Amino acid sequence: MLILLGIQTMEHGGGEDRRELEEMLSGVAAGDREALAQLYRRTRTAVYGLALSYLKNPHDAQDVTQDAFVRVWECAPQYRPKGSPMAWMLTIARNLALMKLRQRGRQGSLEQEEWAAIPAEEASVSPEDRQVLQTALAALGDQERQVVLLHAVSGLKHREIAAVLELPLATVLSKYHRALKKLRVQLEGDDAR
Amino acid sequence: MTDQELERRLAQALDHTAPDDCEGVLSRCEARKGTVIPMTNKQTKNRWRPLIAACLALALVGGGGGLFYQQSYAVASVVSLDVNPSIELKVNQKEKVLACTPLNQEAREALTDMGGGADLEGTKLDVAVNAIVGALVRRGYLDSISSAILISVEDKNEARAAKLRQELTAAVDSVLQEQSNNASVLSQTLTQDAALEAQARENNISTGKAYLVRQVMEMNGTIAANSTTAQERLSALSVEELSDLLETGETRIPIGKSAAAQAAEQYAGTLSVDSVTVEVDPELDEVPAYYEVELHHPTLGEFEYRVDAFNGAVLSGRADILSGGKTQTGTQTQSGNQPQTGNQSAMVGEAKAKTAALAHAGVSESAVKYCNVWLEYDDGRPECYEVEFEVNGVRYKYEIGLYDATVQKSEVERKASTASGEDIGQEKAKAAALSHAGLTESQVTKWKVERDEDHGRLEYEVEFKSGGVEYEYTIDGATGVVLEHESERED
Repeated sequence: MLILLGIQTMEHGGGEDRRELEEMLSGVAAGDREALAQLYRRTRTAVYGLALSYLKNPHDAQDVTQDAFVRVWECAPQYRPKGSPMAWMLTIARNLALMKLRQRGRQGSLEQEEWAAIPAEEASVSPEDRQVLQTALAALGDQERQVVLLHAVSGLKHREIAAVLELPLATVLSKYHRALKKLRVQLEGDDAR
Repeated sequence: MTDQELERRLAQALDHTAPDDCEGVLSRCEARKGTVIPMTNKQTKNRWRPLIAACLALALVGGGGGLFYQQSYAVASVVSLDVNPSIELKVNQKEKVLACTPLNQEAREALTDMGGGADLEGTKLDVAVNAIVGALVRRGYLDSISSAILISVEDKNEARAAKLRQELTAAVDSVLQEQSNNASVLSQTLTQDAALEAQARENNISTGKAYLVRQVMEMNGTIAANSTTAQERLSALSVEELSDLLETGETRIPIGKSAAAQAAEQYAGTLSVDSVTVEVDPELDEVPAYYEVELHHPTLGEFEYRVDAFNGAVLSGRADILSGGKTQTGTQTQSGNQPQTGNQSAMVGEAKAKTAALAHAGVSESAVKYCNVWLEYDDGRPECYEVEFEVNGVRYKYEIGLYDATVQKSEVERKASTASGEDIGQEKAKAAALSHAGLTESQVTKWKVERDEDHGRLEYEVEFKSGGVEYEYTIDGATGVVLEHESERED
């Protein structure tokens, strides 16, 4: 319980964010394209982060990100503002990512994990960005990566992440800590242990 | 490095690498807007559930002693897929298919490669759905851009139903996209309803489609009141036709695709010719609503007809094609180098119309995202060629003369403009119009510039005269793009 409290104080993404996202979503539900554009700008990183954490391939993650927003546009009228709007969107993205993984499994198109994680031509991507992402993709287990990326970009609480990823809260917490520790070791060397 | 610092770096790296293609998303959303219709039926009724499960278990076990057999044979969800073929899948808790039943003749034909559905039993639901949708696509049921597939999930557990529906919608959508197919995907969740089930069985359709029929009937009492056979006739329609009726609020019942095909064939005199194949595309959201029927004759080529959606009258198309007969109301879309007949011979053809439009826009064919050309009719007579294409998010629409390929009208429209709130101002709007006309300000008189927000976006209407010619422009107020222009010599 103590651990839980300690972690929750670190979490960002308060009620204000949620209200704003709710507003954008209800705009999207009403067919407002500008609301979708706002929502996209606001949440694209989180959706992409989730997709990448599952797919480990930036191209597939980009595809899924776009598909997810199209799906959000289509499904927004069904959204009921009782949970977290971010969690709802990420659940959509997760389902699409899982589907992509299944397709991949069937097609056998990606036998090896592809670590060319970041398009080389992107000027906005610094060497530090590249390093931290490649480390996250290469050094972490699937669940560790999913938990830590989601926590870093979505503003969701651990219990919400647990719900999105369909994992027990205890697993999310332990994976989260282990992931950060592994990352630190990789990025700073053994001193960090 | 603290945890927060690490997370901040991760977040920043993702922020820098995440795609930033809002335009791309918006362009797809426009095309897909309204394609998923959320429909929910809150009626609850659980009495049938154990009965069905028991019957099914009985059937599966072979009519014998294992009545209390195996939890995994219990039906958790019933999924139906409707286009015009109606197919029902019974699924257990693990999303494994227990039974796959074609509910009408078209469905039986579509599933012939899969043992009439038997081959899908025991497979995972997503695999089965993939296979079925693939078969429907191969058989051309989802070819037209306006065709629609309805996915219905019946489950007493609403959360599971919603989840399954979302997964299936995404799965079907991805199959369609893989096949570059633009059919719409509609989906709904239902809880069980005995009356609906009875209605469905009576008409050989799924409960999902029966629910759609019920909605059409309830939408406006007229349909139900006017005819005792309304339910039967509506059930025979495709999902696309039903959803069009819902969308347009139409209270009459259309004649259906096969009646439309028959009307066209009768008119064309090909009813007794086996080698003629027919494609029918309902255009019920048009005013007036009609069916577009294409007849393909192995040697004479393709013939296109429009059939009134409610009275079956042939609105346009060529009569008696076998005798090379009357051409006054119709046209013929040439396939290959067929000799042309009648007044058609002077028409420039679709290819030339397209070239003329592209040349006018200064766009090469390789640059366009898509390009559609068709003959536009007025009162059953060909009026002009319409050419539509899109380049870099800008949509062009042309009307091209039938006999001389001249540009009669052109429209330019920016798709998915997100630059709301931007205003180039009157001077720039004027400058854009002048530049398009190839004139300078000193050469023109009688300026008139009006700011207009009537169409939900900012436009400038610019008018002026020069050298005895009146010019009229519509300029996009956010981008300065010329949306419409006309010029006319003063009388």
